[in-house]
Amino acid sequence: MTTTTHARRWTGVWVATIVILMLAGWPESADAYIGPGAGFAVLGSFAVIFVTMLLAGISILAWPFRTVWRMIRHRRTSKPLVKRTIFIGFDGQDAAITERMMAEGKLPNYSELAERGSYRKLRTTFPSITPVAWSSFSTGTNPGRHNIFDFLDRDPRTYLPRLSSTHIGSVEKFLKIGKLRIPLKKPEIRNLRKSKPWWTILGENNIWSTIIRVPITFPPDKFYGAQLGAMCIPDLLGTQGTFMLFTTRPESESFQEGGMRVALEKNGSNSTFEATIEGPENAFFEGSPPMKLPLSIDVDRASGSARAAINDAEVELKTGELSGWVKLDFKVIPGMKVSGLTRIMLTEADEHVSLYMSPINIEPGKPAMPISHPSYYSSYLEKKIGPYATLGLAEDTWALNEKVTNDGTFWTQTQDVDDEREQMLDIALDKLRSGALVTVFDATDRVNHMYWRYIDDGHPAAEGIDNPEYADAIEKQYIRNDGIVGRVLEKINDDDVLFVLSDHGCTSFRRGVNLNAWLLNEGYLTLKTGADPSEPWLGSVDWSKTKAYAVGLVGIFLNIRGREAKGIVSPGEEAMAVKRQIAANLQGLVDEETGDVAINEAFDTDTLYRGPYKGNAPDLLMGYNHGYRISWDCASGVVAGEVFEDNVKAWSGDHIVDPRLVPGILLCNHEVSSEDPHIVDLAPTVLTLFGVRPADHMDGTPLLDKKRITRAAGPKA
Amino acid sequence: MFGSTKVKLDASLVDRIRKFAEIAGYSSPEEFITHALEKELAVLEEAGDEEEIKKRLQGLGYMS
Repeated sequence: MTTTTHARRWTGVWVATIVILMLAGWPESADAYIGPGAGFAVLGSFAVIFVTMLLAGISILAWPFRTVWRMIRHRRTSKPLVKRTIFIGFDGQDAAITERMMAEGKLPNYSELAERGSYRKLRTTFPSITPVAWSSFSTGTNPGRHNIFDFLDRDPRTYLPRLSSTHIGSVEKFLKIGKLRIPLKKPEIRNLRKSKPWWTILGENNIWSTIIRVPITFPPDKFYGAQLGAMCIPDLLGTQGTFMLFTTRPESESFQEGGMRVALEKNGSNSTFEATIEGPENAFFEGSPPMKLPLSIDVDRASGSARAAINDAEVELKTGELSGWVKLDFKVIPGMKVSGLTRIMLTEADEHVSLYMSPINIEPGKPAMPISHPSYYSSYLEKKIGPYATLGLAEDTWALNEKVTNDGTFWTQTQDVDDEREQMLDIALDKLRSGALVTVFDATDRVNHMYWRYIDDGHPAAEGIDNPEYADAIEKQYIRNDGIVGRVLEKINDDDVLFVLSDHGCTSFRRGVNLNAWLLNEGYLTLKTGADPSEPWLGSVDWSKTKAYAVGLVGIFLNIRGREAKGIVSPGEEAMAVKRQIAANLQGLVDEETGDVAINEAFDTDTLYRGPYKGNAPDLLMGYNHGYRISWDCASGVVAGEVFEDNVKAWSGDHIVDPRLVPGILLCNHEVSSEDPHIVDLAPTVLTLFGVRPADHMDGTPLLDKKRITRAAGPKA
Repeated sequence: MFGSTKVKLDASLVDRIRKFAEIAGYSSPEEFITHALEKELAVLEEAGDEEEIKKRLQGLGYMS
């Protein structure tokens, strides 16, 4: 070989290496990004597939080196006690209902698990709300150490609400070419949950974890394992779930919550209609106009059926029946598209024609946002089980609240999402030789919320319940959960530990409490002169005369000088005095219409939480009594109205109450050490099971140790 | 994969960070450093677009 040939060969190797490293260094830039105020990466469809495959290959090739590195860096304190630890989460499964059904013999697998190991109530977090509780499960810490106190946070600069769990930035730099604006950088997406999840710690100790749909995993964590993200993954429009109703009905009021009404126009005859589906904003063009897709519908009124045409697909529809997943491909620029999944349903085909379209989920086969780790895991699952829901709160509660859909449609949505989830669990459990697995099922929480009115006599929302078939929906769901546990019990071995848990329970939500209206009445909150108090998001508030306000779902903030942009309450003595006064006046607050106590206690979060983030919490946390919750208006920052009002929505059960009233459940195939476990205890427990010393910053205590790991009875015969 | 940057700090500062991070309940010194910087940046950065923020919350089932 000549010197020139040798140099060319090495030059080629270096060039190839640099190209590969550059492409590998853009693992996330292969994903397009969508949403309000965001832009797209430059790579087109082919490059996305190429980079994804390349990353998968690099990941496989690098695995031995990463494994050795992990072994050198971290040594476990002792040998693992188990081969596998499996968590099955049923979000919202209520302890009281579970215990009653177990006593009645309706949950045989739960009973067997309790007999084999143990059953306990599981104490939940303050507040008893999904993002907070699962964050405590994940990190083993109280909210003061993981920074999640609610679904919402408020920006102290503007008093406006924002999602507490995710920050999504904007694209600021563009390359302008004619009418096009090419985004030069992806917007930042950051998970705002702090501390360190136990699966990351296990990964540092070379122990694999598969984490499926644990809330507050968006964007997903990066660790030795696989993760499918959950709350609060947005829909393709960048919202938390916007449904559409295409209809010939004349426009009256648009949907207040969660929906968009779109006019269906006749196209030549009385049975052919067309409309435009508006997709995500297209940041490639000035003004970010929405991407659009044409929709046409041919209706056969006689048979109550229709054919919908979207992209190149035709979907056959029958009135009242939800379709399967329908793929929507929105064109971004020539050669680039972004895809979503939706389900559609003909809701009427009579004098009027209406078509419901579910929120458009991010398509998991080629996701427009980072919804899994590794990035190809969502695509892997899609190849295995077909299309599936990716939206954080995937079941469309608002369409049911607005009576666009009905109890039957909602039931179908919850059961189908649960079916998808069980398929994911089966795949992960079959593949897991050793390590940890978590799968969270959401249907229980949704079913509790939407069908509680069937089990609560006298509930204001019980009037006009449309179908007695759903009177036992909640029990059916719990029985279904029991079946899932039974199937898992058949698959586990003597050296596995199984936990079945829920993050909180549920109770009735009959009456809403407008804390801002109460603060106004008591003189802690003042309106601007002439302002409309029904304006949402505290737009009517005069901050220069307001000492306290409510934003979000769980509590009250003081308007503190130096903390809030227009604060008037001095920190220290004055703030403590105002807080004590408000707490004293709210504790035991009676709803005069019913004679019931609405608020058991108003908790001072300064004493409730420990940790560096406790300053981000509301100053007072409400402990509502059974039957009460923050009102719909107050949750949107509306000050107007009565302090108490009936809740007449289908969303008739809730758990954002005094946490002591809604514990979750904990079952295990071994007897746990504590009679009164807390959800923060699971993280140190799983670390202990794998021989990893629980981190010092964790608040929980291990529930199992070497002495307590006894031989399980073995798989069910 | 290449999304982070390394920063050099004095050893004495790192010692102080490590000590305080443990006392305060951070999971690591890195978390403490990140939090301290985020707090400073929050004061300097502008708030997001109001309409975009509201749109992101649309459809969350727990509220209207």
